[in-house]
Amino acid sequence: MNYVALKMLFGDRAKYLMLLCGLTFAVMLIVQQGSIFWGLMMWSQASITNLNVPIWVTDPGIAQVDEVKPLADTAVDRVRSLDGVEWAVPLYKGLLRARLATGEYHQITLTGLESATLIGRPAEVQEGRFEDILQPDAVVLDQWAVERMGGPTVVRVGTIFELNDKLARVVAIAKTQKSFTNIPVVYTTYEGAMRYVPRERRILSYVLAKHKDGVPVEDVVQRIRTQTGLGAFTQEDFGFKTYMWVLVNTGIGINFGTTILLGFIVGMAIAGQTFYLFTIENLRQFGALKAMGASSFTLARMILLQAFTVGLTGYGVGIGLATVFGFLTAQGGNLPFAETWQLLLLVLVALLAICLVSASVSIIKLARLEPAIVFR
Amino acid sequence: MIVFKRVSVWLAVAGVGFAAWVLIGANKKESMPTPISEPPRSPYEQVVAASGIIEAVNENVRIAPAVAGLITKVFVKVGDQVTEQTPLFQLDDRELRAQYLTREAAIAPLQAQIDEQKYKIGDLETQLQRLQSVHDERAVSEDDLKRTWYALEMAKRGDQRLHASHKQAKAQRDEVTILLERLTVRAPRSGIILQVNVRAGEYATLGSSEPLMLLGETEQLQIRADVDEVNAPLVIPQAPAVASIKSLGSEKIPLTFVRIEPYVIPKKSLTGENIERVDTRVLRIIYRFNRPSFPVYAGQQVDVFIERKPSRTTGRTPSSPTTPTERPS
Repeated sequence: MNYVALKMLFGDRAKYLMLLCGLTFAVMLIVQQGSIFWGLMMWSQASITNLNVPIWVTDPGIAQVDEVKPLADTAVDRVRSLDGVEWAVPLYKGLLRARLATGEYHQITLTGLESATLIGRPAEVQEGRFEDILQPDAVVLDQWAVERMGGPTVVRVGTIFELNDKLARVVAIAKTQKSFTNIPVVYTTYEGAMRYVPRERRILSYVLAKHKDGVPVEDVVQRIRTQTGLGAFTQEDFGFKTYMWVLVNTGIGINFGTTILLGFIVGMAIAGQTFYLFTIENLRQFGALKAMGASSFTLARMILLQAFTVGLTGYGVGIGLATVFGFLTAQGGNLPFAETWQLLLLVLVALLAICLVSASVSIIKLARLEPAIVFR
Repeated sequence: MIVFKRVSVWLAVAGVGFAAWVLIGANKKESMPTPISEPPRSPYEQVVAASGIIEAVNENVRIAPAVAGLITKVFVKVGDQVTEQTPLFQLDDRELRAQYLTREAAIAPLQAQIDEQKYKIGDLETQLQRLQSVHDERAVSEDDLKRTWYALEMAKRGDQRLHASHKQAKAQRDEVTILLERLTVRAPRSGIILQVNVRAGEYATLGSSEPLMLLGETEQLQIRADVDEVNAPLVIPQAPAVASIKSLGSEKIPLTFVRIEPYVIPKKSLTGENIERVDTRVLRIIYRFNRPSFPVYAGQQVDVFIERKPSRTTGRTPSSPTTPTERPS
């Protein structure tokens, strides 16, 4: 009977393709929208993931990474004094204006890394050597800064510009993840940052730390909080805090939320409707089977088999297409696209559920079917 | 199976496979790039961390002249090792040398007078003796005898006066010598010339803000460590400590405790900026150390780790597990 069911499904090629297309595009729509949304959220915490250190220490009242609340210089030593902290280094982060030789002004994020270790530097550079940042007046840009400031013809290794009226020389271009605000990032050393920024009473923005191997990072974070009174977060927590802030405080949450929800509803509606129409059209064949003596249970099993087969096929092709789309467009890093297995699992469950629902509707209809319909 | 005859099914399998491959690739978390040098790590289980600066054991001496004057000669240059009393520079001494000449010249006439007086006394003494040896009262008058005696006594007093004047003249000459000596500025103790801010031909004034020369002892260095006042109660005197200079975080210099400065002072940022920012208050601890195999210089910044006993019980969550007992060192 299974063979008959599949033959029915695949038999009419045109109908099958239509059904498959409906499901495929529904899946693709949801996965693509969800991934873009998630990619955007990843971008919002790019300043955290780009530095890639396990523990961030700052003011306890901090809302998100780009909102800097400076600490006293001795915070580094206070964090170092705690058990389970392997190392702690200072980080400067702040907004500054850069003036190019052409006279153009650009808002930039100045990131000052501890000079001896350069902890927090990007793993990859496109051009130059990151270590050259230790030279006098040297800074490193990320590739998005080059793009924003006018492309490789305007800014390249060796370019000189002004940061707060002081000389800055580009020695390397780093490869980083694009950030949500897309403000160019200029890397320098902590001492260099102190030279560039206007005078402030406190300059230390963050203390970056790592837990000792064998000590759970959450314990260390908790210890920093209770013993120093500072705010401490793991990289993941701080990222979560940041994108929750973006969701609540910007329009992205509402806008994208509704889009995704609509995509989901539309996708599922198409999937359900297509499959329902398919069973309705095959009602005559099912009637014939019933007239031949097939039980309602057997028919139900056949319909479920058809539903799951086409559902899984549509799912597979759909996520394949979405992934190809993401793979091709997000390759340059210009489009936020981050697929997660959670999203794929959710879509799978939802799709199977919708197939089940539409199959059940058909089954109910079939159960009430008079075999005589074949002869009408 | 009929299922495997359909292209769409294969497409679906390929799609899932591709998605899985991309996902595995994307979720592979890049590890942090290794720091270009080891970050400073504590060698102890429980520590108080501090930031410090290397400085000379004795405070630097700001060399100043005793009097203002024109500098005629500078004997040393930056980096010279000097011992105590080594001449450093010479002030213009022509005026005193001229005075010396006249003072010196004033001594010779006095000496001559003294010699002259000696003969005078001798002459009078012989006269007196001769007069006294004559016993005939008619040959020598009492008056002559008295007169000669008085003349001799006068001559003796005159000799005393001349000797005093001679001594005075010599003292006056010696005064100039000492004053001349004062114009050569000498090292008050042994050390290294750290700075020379004068050149021959310049005028040395008294109490100038910039020292004419800076003399210091860099053979023995010490570390001045700043501990945040919050952590001050955790510091145990005599506790073992290590320091590491920046960019050589793995090289530990063992420290010997010297003293804790009893007064907690406002921290100065060690940024080398012209205006120091007062941030917070810090406890200062002085440590001595032996020179390590690699070069260190006075003025370098260091990270200091001071051991402390298993920590205070307050402020710790009771549920927090103990730190591992063995640690790779």
